[in-house]
This record gives sequence, structure tokens and C-alpha cells, in this order.
Amino acid sequence: MVNELKIGETRKSFGKSLLYTLPMFLITFMFMTGGRPNFADMPSALAVLIAFLLVNVLYFFMHFTGKTDRYRAILFIIFALSLSYTLIHNMLEVRNSMSFSRSDVLECKIPFCHLVIPMMILPAAFTKSIIFPGSILGGFGPVSEMIVLWVIATIVLGRGFCSWGCFYGGWDDGFSRLRKKPLVKKIDGLWKWMPFAVLIMVMLTAALSFMPTYCSWICPFKAVTEFEKVTSIESATKAGIFLSLFGGLVVVLPAMTKKRTQCSFLCPLGAINSLSNKITPFTVKIDKSACNECYKCVDTCPLFAISRDDIKSGKVSTFCSKCGKCVDACSKNAIHYGIRGVPAGTLKNFSRNLFLFVSFLFMAIFSAGSIIASFHGLLKLIF
Amino acid sequence: MKKVKIIAGITWAFSGLILIIILFPGLNSFSVSASKLPFMKINPRYSGGEIAKQIIVDKCTLDIRKPVFNGLFKERKTGFVQMDWRGSLPGLINDSIDYDQDGKKDFSISVDRNNSKTILKPFSNKVGEINISTATSYGWAVRVALVKP
Repeated sequence: MVNELKIGETRKSFGKSLLYTLPMFLITFMFMTGGRPNFADMPSALAVLIAFLLVNVLYFFMHFTGKTDRYRAILFIIFALSLSYTLIHNMLEVRNSMSFSRSDVLECKIPFCHLVIPMMILPAAFTKSIIFPGSILGGFGPVSEMIVLWVIATIVLGRGFCSWGCFYGGWDDGFSRLRKKPLVKKIDGLWKWMPFAVLIMVMLTAALSFMPTYCSWICPFKAVTEFEKVTSIESATKAGIFLSLFGGLVVVLPAMTKKRTQCSFLCPLGAINSLSNKITPFTVKIDKSACNECYKCVDTCPLFAISRDDIKSGKVSTFCSKCGKCVDACSKNAIHYGIRGVPAGTLKNFSRNLFLFVSFLFMAIFSAGSIIASFHGLLKLIF
Repeated sequence: MKKVKIIAGITWAFSGLILIIILFPGLNSFSVSASKLPFMKINPRYSGGEIAKQIIVDKCTLDIRKPVFNGLFKERKTGFVQMDWRGSLPGLINDSIDYDQDGKKDFSISVDRNNSKTILKPFSNKVGEINISTATSYGWAVRVALVKP
């Protein structure tokens, strides 16, 4: 009974939940249809309708049930799958292959993703140029567009980008949910510092070699997007590394540990996003007066962002991606979304409503294109 | 002080809300503005460098790009020069190149497009080997390694 009452603090009535969903409904409608739904092409119209309903139903349930993570995760995982599907489908149509050739590199036709950003910082500062074979404007995945998206999302959401905006995160988030209980329970929290080591390494190696070394050698998501055509021992080695890291850090370890191991141990952009958590307006706060120190939040955090010491000090670490898993797990509602400057334990609902609107709106619109394209592709198989 | 912090925090949070709401409708214009930033150009190691000379013969164009030696702090000792052939190309491309525009030919290059066989004949010790020789969507591209004199 006590638990139900506590959870009820964020849960809303049906009517109130509908009311809270209305702004999301209107904005996503405008973005997905341009204000003018097109019913001429049936698969396209259906794809838009399904995507539109999906995001709004998920957002409604976030308010109606008071739970965040499970509904966020559904869209987040669909985003990751649909992005890979769209990218691969696009490449198969354009190049007849998932791999890119030397001429694609020479003609700067490689789509730019946010994971390149850490490696472009030093060369951009010293040579005033981007060390990536992509296009600055226009084409598929232009550099300027991705940088604008990432900069604004990171300022507003901080490391929340890793759980609400990253189109790769859904892969290991998804695999981390396969088992009900983890097979491996004890992992040293020190590993969470590993992305900073990777960040320094890739920044330096990229600056010295003028090559996006993370993308060229260690990005696990090359396995589900695009990679260099295997034509030599070097390119075969790279392909082997991509597949091994994807299998190990994105599939097997998350499934065994229930943690997002790629995001926790490898991603260099995650390290930068952790730093931006220091300025973002939205945080996760611990209301020490309500906390009974059950440490469910510590066990459930997929990114090692909360330790027992953090609970005692009443502060969530800078590694927090605001996924909401700990917030959902807390039966006392002691851990909650908050706003910088507002004391823990106050304005809980207001902070949650505002954060959910901002973060979910970003994910809904950012993911809409690839989700609609994926549904469209699937529907075309039927019609 | 506590009240100031709360007001500042909430103002910052609402600013975040506005930023996200205007982000997507304004993405195109933001991207265009961002593309004008001083560092927003593709490094010549990837783009091939600026076009230094263009030679047009019949319906075929040869672009000889500026040699690329750029490094992080200063120019490197090794680099490359890129040539692009565009338009309706013959089966066998044969050209002599003066990449540094000093009036002397630095190397000759011959590309058999049917079997991608590329032969380089250097006329100076500044010229190294062929880095890349590949068909492109616009024709053919070759990169030749260079050593700084």
C-alpha cells in the first residue's frame, strides 16, 4: 500500500495523462506530417500513422503509469534497429553492399555520426578542418547537421543524450534486458572510467594520424551500419575487431550483466557527455530524507552511475544518463528527476514532466525519420 | 540565495525546452550557419585538396589538385597529389603531370580503365608511388605519393 502510494506520486489519471500528451501529440503531428497528412500513398500514410501513434502512446503511458524507463527503452530500441535498417537499406540501394569502397571515401560520401566528434576536436582546433570523409552540408548524414543536433542535445540533456538521443545505445540497452537476472553480478565500478581513457587515446591518435581512429578500428556499431570493404589483411582485421566488439560488448556482456557495457566501458562520446552533465539543467536527485538505503537503484543502474557512496552523499554521479531505471525502481520515490538549483525532494512532478517532455520530444522527432522509413519498408513488403 | 538558484535553474530548464522545440524546425538554417564556422571544411587529406589546374581536352577534364602535406602543427615531409579525370574518358588514360606548376613534368601516368592497371613513371625524386587509383562516380581518380623537397 505504501509503495503504491509512493509510485502514485508520478502516476496520473487517464484524463490528466491525455492532457499532458496533447502538446506532444500536436508537435509530433506537425513534424511527422508537415501539417498535411498525405493519404495518396497508402504505405507511407500508414508508416507515418504507426510511428505517430507509437510515440504518443508511449509518452501517454509514461504519464499514466508513472514509469519512465520501460517506455523510453521501447522507442530507444526501435530507434536503434530502424536506424541500422534504414542505413543498411540505403547503402544496399546505392552501393549494393554494406561496405564502402575507396572511391566512396575519396568522394567524401561517408555519413557522419556523433561518435566521430571526439576525434575531430584537436584537428579542428589546430588545422581548422574536419578529419572525416563526409560532406559538410547536404547528402546523407552531413557533418554540420549532426554537430548542431549533438551540441544542442548535449547542452540540454547532458549524458541524457546517451539514453534519449544516441541511435546506437538501443542495441546494448536492448540486449541488457534479455535476462531477468544478471549472470555476472560483480563488476568493479572503476571500469566506468574506461571511456575517458578511450577518449584520450582516440583524440591523440586521431590528431597524430589524421584518421578517425575509433571509427576506423574499434567502433562496434560498424557491424550494424557500414564498414570498409574487405580487400586486405588490414581491412579484414578491422572487420574482425568490429564484429568481436559488437558480439562482446553489445550482445554478450549486456545480456550477462544487465548493464550497457559498450556505453559504460568504451564509448568516448559518453565520456564527453558525462562532462556536459555538469551544466545541463536536468539532473537526477536523491531525496535523502525519503531514502531507506535499499540500494535497488545501485543494482539497477545500467551505467554504474550510482554507488552506495553516492546514495550516502545524496548525489548521483556525472555518469548518469537519466534513463529513469533507478527512478522506476525506487519504491520510496526518493530518487527522482530534478532541476539544477532546485533542492532534492521538491518540485518532483514538475521536474519530471518538464524533463520527460524535453527529452522524449527530442527522441521522438530525431527518431521519426528512420522509424517511418523502416515501417514504410516493411509495409511495402505487404502492399 | 536559495530562491535565486531555484529561479535560475527553472529558467535554464525552460530555455532547454525552447532550444529543443526550435532545434528541428530550425535545423537547416542552424546547419547552414554552422557550416560557415572556420573549422567546417573537410581536411584536404580526405577531400583531395583544392584544384590547382584544370586541363580540358575534348569532352574530358583533368583536375590537378594542390599537393597535400598538411599536419597537425606544421607540414609533413610526405604527402600526395590527387588527379581527377572527369567526363567521357578513353579506355586508356595517358597524361604527363606537372603538379608543382614549375614548367617541368614531374611524372607520367597511364591508367587502363578496363583492368584498373595504373603505371607511374616519376621524372623527379619528389614523386613516390601510387597511393590510390580508382574508378569514381565522375570518372577516375589517382593519388600519387610525394616527398617534400
